[in-house]
Amino acid sequence: MAQSSNFRQLQSANKGKTIFLLVSMGLLTWLVAYAALTYFGAGTTSFVIPLAVGISLVGVWGSYYGSDKLVLTMTGAKVIQREDAPELFNLIEEVVIASGLPMPKVAIVEDSAPNAFATGRDPQHALIAFTTRILEIMDRDELQGVIAHEMSHVANRDTLVSAVAATTAGAIAILSDFLTRMMWFGGGRDRRDNNQNPIALVVSIAIMILAPLAAMLLKSAISRKRESLADATAVQFTRNPAGLRKALEVLAADTTVVRQQSNAVAHIWIESPLDGKSVSKLFSTHPPIEDRIATLRAMESLGPTQ
Amino acid sequence: MDIILIVGALALIALFIVAQYNRLVRLNITVDEAWAQIEVQLKRRADLIPNLVETVKGYAKHEQGTFDAVVAARAKATSANTIGEVAAADGAVTSALRGLLAVAEAYPDLKASANFLSLQEELSTTENKVSFARQFYNDNVRSLNQAVKTIPTSFFAGMAKVSARAFYEIENAADRNVPNVKF
Repeated sequence: MAQSSNFRQLQSANKGKTIFLLVSMGLLTWLVAYAALTYFGAGTTSFVIPLAVGISLVGVWGSYYGSDKLVLTMTGAKVIQREDAPELFNLIEEVVIASGLPMPKVAIVEDSAPNAFATGRDPQHALIAFTTRILEIMDRDELQGVIAHEMSHVANRDTLVSAVAATTAGAIAILSDFLTRMMWFGGGRDRRDNNQNPIALVVSIAIMILAPLAAMLLKSAISRKRESLADATAVQFTRNPAGLRKALEVLAADTTVVRQQSNAVAHIWIESPLDGKSVSKLFSTHPPIEDRIATLRAMESLGPTQ
Repeated sequence: MDIILIVGALALIALFIVAQYNRLVRLNITVDEAWAQIEVQLKRRADLIPNLVETVKGYAKHEQGTFDAVVAARAKATSANTIGEVAAADGAVTSALRGLLAVAEAYPDLKASANFLSLQEELSTTENKVSFARQFYNDNVRSLNQAVKTIPTSFFAGMAKVSARAFYEIENAADRNVPNVKF
């Protein structure tokens, strides 16, 4: 973790790491393709790879494009108007002005756990949602920090980033599934050109089996970097790290967990709703909340930032 | 072959110039929009003031000096034109309002009235919006001025008729760094 950096340095560091991770994803895909090529030869590979990428693309991009509506259904969030929560809208308008983004749609989730999320394919279709509980327990400053964090996801296009990560990870998983099945059923007869190196074959098998795991790890790492980036961008918007820091402390102290613990939407909440389950640190979609608090505290100690 | 290379190079140069020019124009428009946002929020605040003064007056009749200060500051703010004037008047309104709300502290009935509470919420959110609009404006002025003064965008500033813009500076430096005004 970077020592006492300001939000601008943190932002560029997290953006850099995201690019590095996305490139690693690309390399991983290439590695799997190469392994398939070594093991099965060109005929099978040229058929299987477009198929896997295609299936993944259709699945993930469909949900990316309709993310605002899909997530509403999955979380049971209800879109509200200004009259329903004027104070919340006041706070959101403040952050909208600070960020220069268009006003998002706002939704409420009936839930006894304090949490919030943002989604939508672009800033024009953004939606931010809050649980009823988070609105009850947080004061103005804390809520402003949470809103700024969610608007940062919108500003940083995190729905897009996670869609790209999910597509690649999905394609790798499907590909690996196809290829290992084909191996058991003795498929890919075009590989027997007799000058195959047995070590290369073994390595190819290992790559095909391990790649989905590596893709999952990369996907989680990308999600964690986007969370840290959103924290830093939130400070850029409010210039008040203390608000978000206090909000995260409230979330950390709270032990209730959002009812729908679906893995599919875990990454979009401000605090991981899977805390109750023992998710290993490497597969976690969020950085440890203590680390996020420490980073914000370091920003506070820098004093007001221009 | 040579002709293709020359045409290609010229096209690249043209694209580069267009990109720099558009960047300057875009930055300039963003600054204009940010300035408009400041004016919108200052207007909102000015519109809140008469109502607020009347409400406080209903409970605290003997604070004429405070009311006069607020009304005078508001009048000055509505007639301000240049960025410097607007900024100075903005600071004066903020401190006059602080005085008014400090007065309100002494009247428990007033503080408990629903009308006052909703005005207070309106006022704090508007103050926050003013300072965020200010921050957004200054951030964009910073980007614009940097572009106007640094190479290569500086070459095109004259052509795009874009020049460095003034920051929105308020007198009390501490206020600038604390967007969350607590009343």
